Amino acid sequence: MEELFFIRFEVMPTLLMGLVVSIKLIVPSAFLGLFIGIIIGALRVYGSTLLKKVADGYVLIFRGFPLVIQLFIWYFGLPHIGIYLSPMVAAIVGFSLCSSAYHSEYVRGAFLSVKTGQTMGAKALGFSKIQMIRFITLPQAFRRALPGCGNEIIYLIKYSSLAYMITCIELTGQGKIIASETFKYTEIFMIIGAIYLFLSTIASWILHRVEDSLRLPGFEHYKA
Amino acid sequence: MANRKTILRIEDMTKRYGSKTVLKDASLSLKEGELKILIGPSGGGKSTLLQCVNFLVKPDKGRVWLDGEEIIHSRKKELYAYRQKVGMIFQDFNLFDHLTALENVQIALMKVKKKTREDARRRAVNELERVGLGDHIKKYPAQLSGGQKQRVSIARALAMDPKVMLLDEPTSALDPELISEVLDVIINLRVNGMTMIMSTHQIGFASELADELVFLEDGNILEAGPPMKMLSDADCARTREFCSKITELYGNSF
Repeated sequence: MEELFFIRFEVMPTLLMGLVVSIKLIVPSAFLGLFIGIIIGALRVYGSTLLKKVADGYVLIFRGFPLVIQLFIWYFGLPHIGIYLSPMVAAIVGFSLCSSAYHSEYVRGAFLSVKTGQTMGAKALGFSKIQMIRFITLPQAFRRALPGCGNEIIYLIKYSSLAYMITCIELTGQGKIIASETFKYTEIFMIIGAIYLFLSTIASWILHRVEDSLRLPGFEHYKA
Repeated sequence: MANRKTILRIEDMTKRYGSKTVLKDASLSLKEGELKILIGPSGGGKSTLLQCVNFLVKPDKGRVWLDGEEIIHSRKKELYAYRQKVGMIFQDFNLFDHLTALENVQIALMKVKKKTREDARRRAVNELERVGLGDHIKKYPAQLSGGQKQRVSIARALAMDPKVMLLDEPTSALDPELISEVLDVIINLRVNGMTMIMSTHQIGFASELADELVFLEDGNILEAGPPMKMLSDADCARTREFCSKITELYGNSF
């Protein structure tokens, strides 16, 4: 009884505070990451030789460097050249860039799967390359990339816990603090685990709804 | 015919893939309202020639004039403006799969020609009605038959007010029963004076409608002339052979 009381009035409020910070990290990172990922993915397919190389290099770096190291660079490294980011901003930058590198791979694959006839049809009507991407190939590629990109967003929810490494105290960070004060590691981390499970369940529900709403005749089988 | 002005002129069009020359010094000119039909075996260069005309395939050599103005395809703006004036119909339709029939016709009007949504819509509905698809404007390509898809693609090209139409085997991917609905639309264009180059194996159709048949093989224009002469009394032995074979296969009328 005492235990439940403790969890209800001591643990939960602290964890909820952390949860709010987590959500403030995840939501902008998910959108920014996807947005940058689409641009990088498009450059890797439709860019000039030089732009393709630059975009490939971007992916190589942000997918290849461990995320913790990337966060350290944004938070502890940038001050050396006079740029100071708050823990929150540094974490969002780190998550967005890393996640965009993964998104770009799904997006690239989806762009490549659009039939060449679609681009021929657009060019023959006088579309410029950018118009063609924006109005013809992206809407098709996006539908096909969505299951993969959703996967990356679910993954982002979980790796957002790394933010506490650069003093951005979110859900996991708060949990660690009260766990070490009270020594109730098992209970607290079980609760935290359940909260992440809850978050990713909601996210996958939302992603499915988005997929459903974008479903068109001829694109049904791309639904996950 | 003689005093009509030349709309499109192609000179010395050449295209190589590696060491293989798929099109060699092809020259052609089209007067206003003329229909020239490219015939010849598959792989002979018909599609390549048509795609070189609007630079979907970049020719290695060759020049193109529309209305007396030469098109420099490296100048992007000029190229995009030129392509708006040259309608293209593909063998496999190339409708935009994520858009309805209406949106397929509407989108280039809005995004390329910068018309308002309302104007674009009105024009698109008009064009779709003209090809007999007034009842299908809300359908997606996946919900249309091949013949209907090809008619949407013709409506899409016509909405841009092209000066010339290029038709690349417009009926080859269709069930035999659906061919006539597309040919009817093309006949209609012809009657209304549209200037066109078309490649086809429908020799009966070609001989009745074309001003000139152009025989292409191995990337060379071997012979060109009025249909009657080409089909019965061609100068070149290879043309005679091809024409008699294809006439046997597809019949004289359509």
